[in-house]
Amino acid sequence: MARVRWGRVAGWAVLVLVMLVTLFPFYWMLRTSFSNTRALAAGAADLLPVDFTLGAYRRVLGLSSTAEAVAEGGSSGTVNFWLYLRNSIVVATITTAGQVFFGALAAYAFARLRWPGRNAVFTLFVTALMVPPIFTTLPNFVLIKELGLLNTFLGIVLPHLLMTPFAVFFLRQFFLGINAGVEEAARIDGAGHVRTFFRIVLPMSRGPIATLAILTYITSWNDYFWPLLVGKAENVRVLTVALGIFRSQTPQGSPDWAGLMAATLFAALPIMALFAVLGRRVIDSIGYTGVK
Amino acid sequence: MTSDTVRAAPRTPPGTVPEPTPPPPLRRRLGDLPVAVLFVLPAAIGFALFYLWPAVRGAYLSLTRYNVLTPPRFIGLENYEKLFGDRLFWNALKVTAEYVVLNIVSQTVISMLLAVLLYRLTKSMVVRGIVLLPYLVANVVVALVWFWMLDFQLGVVNNVIEWLGFDRVAFFGSDLAIPTIAGINTWRHMGYTALLIFAGLQMIPPSVYEAAAIDGASEWRTFWRVTLPLLRPVMALVMVLSVIGSFQVFDTIAVTTSGGPINATRVIYFYIYDLAFNRFNFGYAAALSSVLFVLLAGIAYVQLRLSRAGESDLRGS
Amino acid sequence: MKRCLAVAGAAVLLLSGCGAQEEPEQAAAGPVTIDYWLWDTAQQPQYQACADAFHKANPQYTVKITQYGWDDYWNTLTTAFVSGTAPDVFVGHLSRYPELAAQGQILPLDEYVTKDKVDLSIYQDGLADLWVAKDGKRYGLPKDFDTVAVIYNTDLLKKAGIKPEEMAELSWNPQDGGTYEKVIARLTVDKNGKRGDEPGFDKKNVATYGLGLNGSGAGFGQTEWSMYAMSNGWQYGDKNPWPTTFNYADPKFKETIKWFTSLIDKGYMPTMDIVSSGVGQIDAYGAGKYAMVTEGSWNTKTYWNLKGVKSALAPTPIGPTGKRASLFNGLADNISATSDNPDAAWAWVKFLGSPACQEDIVAKEAIVFPAIKTATVKAEQAFKDAGIDVKPFTMHVEQGTTHLAPIAEHWADITATMTETMDAIFSFKADVNSLDQANATVNGLFG
Repeated sequence: MARVRWGRVAGWAVLVLVMLVTLFPFYWMLRTSFSNTRALAAGAADLLPVDFTLGAYRRVLGLSSTAEAVAEGGSSGTVNFWLYLRNSIVVATITTAGQVFFGALAAYAFARLRWPGRNAVFTLFVTALMVPPIFTTLPNFVLIKELGLLNTFLGIVLPHLLMTPFAVFFLRQFFLGINAGVEEAARIDGAGHVRTFFRIVLPMSRGPIATLAILTYITSWNDYFWPLLVGKAENVRVLTVALGIFRSQTPQGSPDWAGLMAATLFAALPIMALFAVLGRRVIDSIGYTGVK
Repeated sequence: MTSDTVRAAPRTPPGTVPEPTPPPPLRRRLGDLPVAVLFVLPAAIGFALFYLWPAVRGAYLSLTRYNVLTPPRFIGLENYEKLFGDRLFWNALKVTAEYVVLNIVSQTVISMLLAVLLYRLTKSMVVRGIVLLPYLVANVVVALVWFWMLDFQLGVVNNVIEWLGFDRVAFFGSDLAIPTIAGINTWRHMGYTALLIFAGLQMIPPSVYEAAAIDGASEWRTFWRVTLPLLRPVMALVMVLSVIGSFQVFDTIAVTTSGGPINATRVIYFYIYDLAFNRFNFGYAAALSSVLFVLLAGIAYVQLRLSRAGESDLRGS
Repeated sequence: MKRCLAVAGAAVLLLSGCGAQEEPEQAAAGPVTIDYWLWDTAQQPQYQACADAFHKANPQYTVKITQYGWDDYWNTLTTAFVSGTAPDVFVGHLSRYPELAAQGQILPLDEYVTKDKVDLSIYQDGLADLWVAKDGKRYGLPKDFDTVAVIYNTDLLKKAGIKPEEMAELSWNPQDGGTYEKVIARLTVDKNGKRGDEPGFDKKNVATYGLGLNGSGAGFGQTEWSMYAMSNGWQYGDKNPWPTTFNYADPKFKETIKWFTSLIDKGYMPTMDIVSSGVGQIDAYGAGKYAMVTEGSWNTKTYWNLKGVKSALAPTPIGPTGKRASLFNGLADNISATSDNPDAAWAWVKFLGSPACQEDIVAKEAIVFPAIKTATVKAEQAFKDAGIDVKPFTMHVEQGTTHLAPIAEHWADITATMTETMDAIFSFKADVNSLDQANATVNGLFG
C-alpha cells in the first residue's frame, strides 16, 4: 500500500503545481485590474495593486465619466455593460443549443446509422476543420450581408449554428464509444432511429454532450472578430466586442491594462457562475452511465 | 485473466456498425439512408454554406491574382510556382512545424497527466473548475497577460528569476520565442484538452479496471494496457484537433512578436494573414492556404489511420 | 435576392427578411446620416465635438462615429469595402491610402476642392501634398501633423549631472556620436551604479539604458533612426512623394545605422532580444529603465500621464548637415467611392479640414497638432497650459527641418523586406552591407 500512497502524494504534488501555474496569471490579472494603468509601469515589480483603485471596474461597467476614465489611462468609450451581457448570453446560448443539437443529430448518423457514402461525407465534414478562417470570414460576411442579417443575432450565430466540424467530430467519437447493445435492444423492441436517438443515445451521452456544451459556450462567449464584423450595432453588440475598447486603440499604443484585465475577469464571471451552478450536475453526469 | 483479455474482447471490423436484424434487400443497399439524410441535413446545410462554399471559392482564388478590392484575374498555377521559390514560405513551414511539435508534445503529455490525476484523485468541482479557467480567457488576452508577465525588464517572471540569482531571460528573443509561445498556448489549452480526455476516461466502464485489478496489474501497466487503448477514439480526436489548431496559431503571435524577430515566429498562418490583409495579395495567400489545407488533411488522414479512430475496443463488450 | 434563392429551403429564409433588403437609400434631399470611422479613442471626443458643431451648422446632416481599435480597423474596413458596407468617410493613413486610391476605393476630391475654392495654403507647408496620389489626384485634406523629439526623464538627467540647457544643443555624427552619444552614455547606469562613460561599466548588466528602443524601424524608422539618417543628408528615395528608387544602400544610411546599432553593442541601448521581449517603450520608460527615448508627438500626452516619472522634451540632435531633422507626417480623412452621399461626405470632410473644427475644437484638446497653421499656435498654447513645452516638436516646422514622410507604392512589401533586414542588422546577425541586397529587392518592386 505504501507505493500507492506515494503515488498519490506525487500526484497531488503535480496537481497542486499545475493549479499554481494556472492560477498565478489570474492573480496577476486581478492585481492589475485593481491598479491605476498610468502607475503600472513604475510599479511593475509590486506584487500588490499599484495605486489601488476600482476605476477599471467602473470603466467596465460604464460608470465612469470620460474625464475619470482618461485620468486613469482608460479610453473615452462608453460601455453599456448589462445590455452587452444580455447580448452575449443570447448569442452563446443560441449557438450552443443549435450546435450541440444539430451536431448530435449528424454525429449519430455518422456513428450509428448505416448508409452509403457515410464515411466519405464524414471525412468531408472533418476536412472543414482545416479550412483556414481567413477564407471563410469574407464570403460568410458577404453572405450574411446579402441575407440582410447584418446587426442581427441570427447573423452573428448563423455560421456556427448548424454545424461546426468540431461538434460533429467530437460527438461522433463519443457515440462510437457507447455500447451498441442497449441500442440494439431498443431497436429489437421496435423503437425507430429517431426514438432510439432521443430516448437512448442522448441520455446516455449526457457527459460528452455537457462537455461539448460547456466548451462551445465558452468558445462562443469569447468569439471576437466575427461579432465585431457582423454585430457592431449597439442592440446586438456582445461583451467581447464592447470590451475591445480596452485593447490598444492606436498603432504601437499600449492597452488600458487595468481596464483590459478587469474586463476580462468580469466577462469570465458569468461563465464561472454558470459553471458553478450547473457544474456539479454536468460533471457528475460525465461518466459511464450506459450499461449495467 | 490477464489484462489482455480486455483488448481481446470481440469487436467488429473498423468502420462498420453492427446490424441488429437482417434487413430486407432494398434496405440493405440504402441502409438507414432516409433517416440519415434527415439527421445530417441541418449540419449539411451549415457545412455547404459556411465551409464548403468558402473553401471552393478559396481554391479558385488561389488560381488568380486577386487584391480583394478589384475582381480576380485568372493566372493558372502561377501562384503555386511562385510558392516553391518563396524562401519565406519554407521558413514559415519550418517555424510552424517547430511550434506544432513543441506545442503538441507539451500539451498532450500535460493534459493526459492532468486528466488521469483528476480522474484518480479528486471529485472536487473547484479543482476541475480551476483547470478549465485559462480557457475562459480569450486567446488575445492570454497572450497579452503573458507578454506583460514575461517582459524582460518589467515582467514579474523575470523579476523572480533575477531575485533567485539568475540572469533575466529574453522570452521573446529569436531563440526562445517559439518555445515561449508554445508554452503560453499550452497553458491556455491544457485544461480544455484534459477535460476532453477526462470525458473519455469516464466513458470507460469500471468493470475493465476491476478486471485489471483482479489480475494484479500495476497502475502503470493498467494505464498502458487498458486505459490508453480504450481512450483511442478520444485521443484521436484530441490529437487531430490540436494538430490542426496548432498549425493555425495566429493570435498569440500577432499580439506579441508579429512574426519577428527576423522572421523567427513568422508562422504560416501569420504569413498568410499578412499577405492577404496587409499586402492585398489575396490570390497568393489563397494558394498558401490551399497548400496548408492539403498538408493538414494529409496529416489528419495519417493520424486517423494510425489511431484507428473509427473503432473502439469497447464495442460489444 | 439572388443569394436568398440559393439558400431557399433553409430555415434562414424565414427569419432573414430577404425581400426587404434592396431599398434604395434616400436622396440627399432629406436628412442624411454620414457614417464616419476612426481608430483612436483618445481623439474621439474632439471629433464628436466637431460632429456636433457640423450638425448644428448643417442640420440636414448627422455624423455617426464608429470606432475600431487599430488592430481591427483595416481588416474591418477591407471587409466593409468588399461587401459594400464601407463608411462614407474614414480616417486614412499614409501607408494605406495609395493602395485604396489605386484600386478606386476612395474618391478623388479635386472637383470639390475646385468648386468650393478650398484654400490649401492654410495648412502647414507640404502636408497637403501628402494626400495627392500617384495619379495626381487629391484624396484627403490634412487634419493633423506629427514630428519627432526626444523625451527624457528629468530626475535621471539631474542624477547624471546634465543640465536641461545642454539637451537643447546636442549634436551627433556617425564617427563618435558627438555630444548626443556622450549624454546617452552618461545617462546609462549599470547594476553596480557605474555610468556608461565611466571605467568598469558593465555593459552586460545595465539597469537603466540611456536611450530606449522601439524596434528596428523596418524601412521607415520614423521614431527610431529617421532623424539621424536625414540629418546626415540622407533621403529615402530619389524623390518624394512617389519615389521610383530607394536609397537604403546609400553609404550615408549605412554609416548612420552602423553608428546607431553600435549604441546597442556599447550597452547604451537595449538589444533586439530585450526589445522584442518587452511590451513597449512607453512602459519601460515609465519603469525608469530608459532615461530618454525618441518619440512621435502623438504620444506626448501618454508620457506625461505616466505616474512616477517626470518628463521633459528636447529636440532631436543636430547632424553632420548642421541641421536637425524630423519626419513630417499626418492624417487625413478619405471618402469611400461607394458612399451614397458623396456631397454630404465632402461637406463633413471639408468641415474636418476647416478652422471651425481644427482651430476651435481640436487644438484646444492638446492631443495632436492640427494641420492648419494658425491652429498649431493654439495647440502649442493648449499644451503649455497642460504643462508641456512642445517647442521641440514644432521647431522643426518653424525652422524648416521637416522632411515629408515617404509615400510610395508597395509600402507593405517594402516593409516586409526591410523588417527582416533591419531586424537582422540590429541583432548583429547581419552586416550593414546586407542593405545592398535589401535595397535591390525593394527597387525590384518598382521595376
